Amino acid sequence: MILSLTILYVLTLIYLSITERFRNYASIIALQGWILLAVALLRLHALNWAELGFILAETLLFKGIIVPKILFAVIRRTKINRVRTSGSSQAHSLLLSLAALAASASVSYYVADPSVNMVFFGVALYSLLSGLILIVLRSRIFSHMVGFLVIENGVFLFSTAIGVEMPLLINTAILLDILISVLMLGMFLTKIDHEIHVDDADALTNVKD
Amino acid sequence: MIIYFLLSLAGAALALAARSKRFIALAGLFFFAVQFGLAGLLLGGGRTGETSALFFRFDESGLLFYCLLCVVGAFVFVHSKAYLKENPLKEYRLYFCLLMLLQTAIAGVYFSDNIAVTWIFLEATTLCAAGIIYHRRTAQTLEATWKYIFVCSTGIAMAYLGILLLCSVAEGGSLSYGALAERLRTGNPLYLKIAFLLILSGYSCKMEIFPLYTIGVDANFAAPSPASALISTGLVNAGFLAIFRVYRLMAETDIFGWVRSVLLIVGLLSLAIGALFLRRTNNYKRFLSYSTVENMGIVAIGLGIGGIGVWAALFHAVCHTLVKSSLFLQMAVVRQVYDGYRINRLGDYLSINKVGAVGLLLGTVVVLAFPPSPLFLSELMVFRGIFAAGKWWLALVMLLLLCIVVYSICARIIKLCYQPNQDELHPSRADRALSWSALALLIAAMVLGLWQPAPFRELITVIATL
Repeated sequence: MILSLTILYVLTLIYLSITERFRNYASIIALQGWILLAVALLRLHALNWAELGFILAETLLFKGIIVPKILFAVIRRTKINRVRTSGSSQAHSLLLSLAALAASASVSYYVADPSVNMVFFGVALYSLLSGLILIVLRSRIFSHMVGFLVIENGVFLFSTAIGVEMPLLINTAILLDILISVLMLGMFLTKIDHEIHVDDADALTNVKD
Repeated sequence: MIIYFLLSLAGAALALAARSKRFIALAGLFFFAVQFGLAGLLLGGGRTGETSALFFRFDESGLLFYCLLCVVGAFVFVHSKAYLKENPLKEYRLYFCLLMLLQTAIAGVYFSDNIAVTWIFLEATTLCAAGIIYHRRTAQTLEATWKYIFVCSTGIAMAYLGILLLCSVAEGGSLSYGALAERLRTGNPLYLKIAFLLILSGYSCKMEIFPLYTIGVDANFAAPSPASALISTGLVNAGFLAIFRVYRLMAETDIFGWVRSVLLIVGLLSLAIGALFLRRTNNYKRFLSYSTVENMGIVAIGLGIGGIGVWAALFHAVCHTLVKSSLFLQMAVVRQVYDGYRINRLGDYLSINKVGAVGLLLGTVVVLAFPPSPLFLSELMVFRGIFAAGKWWLALVMLLLLCIVVYSICARIIKLCYQPNQDELHPSRADRALSWSALALLIAAMVLGLWQPAPFRELITVIATL
């Protein structure tokens, strides 16, 4: 079951590399939130009820509902629906994403150490690379925000692999994850759009040498 | 440590709730009484090495950098009061509250004895620093704040992935540095390498080294000058200490040689970027920030060399704290006079503010590591380490880059002091008392260059012992 969910998670990352519509971005982030909820439920059931309840509630409310809602609100408010056409093509993006997937799988397979969950580590690494690719290739600030959320989701996925042994790690990460994401999304929604315009990252070039 | 946090937070809360600027000064007095109280307790009470509240330990490295933080923080507070005196109360009190919170979070990084807790406090510094960077509430500061939060959060997320990997290699148990060091000895080398790379890349945004150095430069540019003095020293040291603790963990493993090579490359790249951008920038605050990148590059090279280089790296970081904070505080006075930082416009500072100009010229000599600069000693030791390791190519590249640094810094600071002023500029009067106080930090650094007290040398030796 967990393996199927992680494969589904990988598919969402591949889809993220080819889609150009922001609505799809927001939907994928929501889907990832629900996948992570299921993975957390299956992986961490050995935790005590208070810790498990906190993690599940955070994943459901924050990753599954609130963050996607904010993303949809940003799309409605800014009326921007697609990544810029001048950005890199879908084929390039897909190729890079598949190369990242191959690299992540190779690293995990090559080391194959019993101390580390190979599947979770490989997927987390792929998630990190996918997020970075999204940030580097796409020129709109919205895509950068989604890239950051993808990285956060990857880190969360990997933390569930060792969450039973070290619940402190996963709990603190979640709390700060919420704090930073809310700050960033809030700032994005209330300040950036008003003063800089969210059209594209080219607007963010006043602070330079 | 819990009492320290509660009292520090109380100081910050008092500043936020203040109804007058005078009350903020009193809150500051209370806050610094707490800071110096803890420093006194640790120095006088012989509590070095003690554990507190499970996750904290008053070790030598934390103590050394904490004492520096207290001194620099107090100077920053006093200079900020003068720098922001025209600001409305609402912005003024928020700034001081965030400044106190930032200093508390940095202290948390210094004393944390748990890899996850170090990460938490580093993340907390991002939140506090972001508020300070946005202080002026202009489009430029908003852009810098957005970039700072975005890049730091991405970097910190990467570092967290590295920490998770390190913890899985350690196969559960305590996350304290001591316990991790024991368990990592037999860890899978490739996983350890990936973990180190992720942590180094992530924390580089705080230490202002390659690859995420840009964000520190932008932050220093947008934040008020006195706050830049804290960001460019206290916060940079927090990043340094976080990396240094992981470096010590790796010293116990088989990949230590590889780790040192990575640090050499990162240090050299940082030095090169710093040297090249010192020539390019047209803003004095960005200019000083690139100097921080260059100096932190030298620190990373020291760690990469190992042996005597580690001692030199620590000594360099300590002295750089005093020198750079002095220069940023002098720059705050420059802003008072010219209302700007543009290199190609400002000049004639020597005739406007002699004390400030002497402070800047002296600061130039010290930051360029000419005797009696303490940085001369540390750089000399780094070079000794390089020659002992037989890495002549590294010494040659470093010398070339340092020549560029010397030329760039001299040209820029001499311009500010001697070039004729622009006709349309209307310089204001300078507050000489502030220039004198900034100069005091520089003199302290120069004293360290000429004479290092035995306990201070021993302290660094203990920290440098891997």
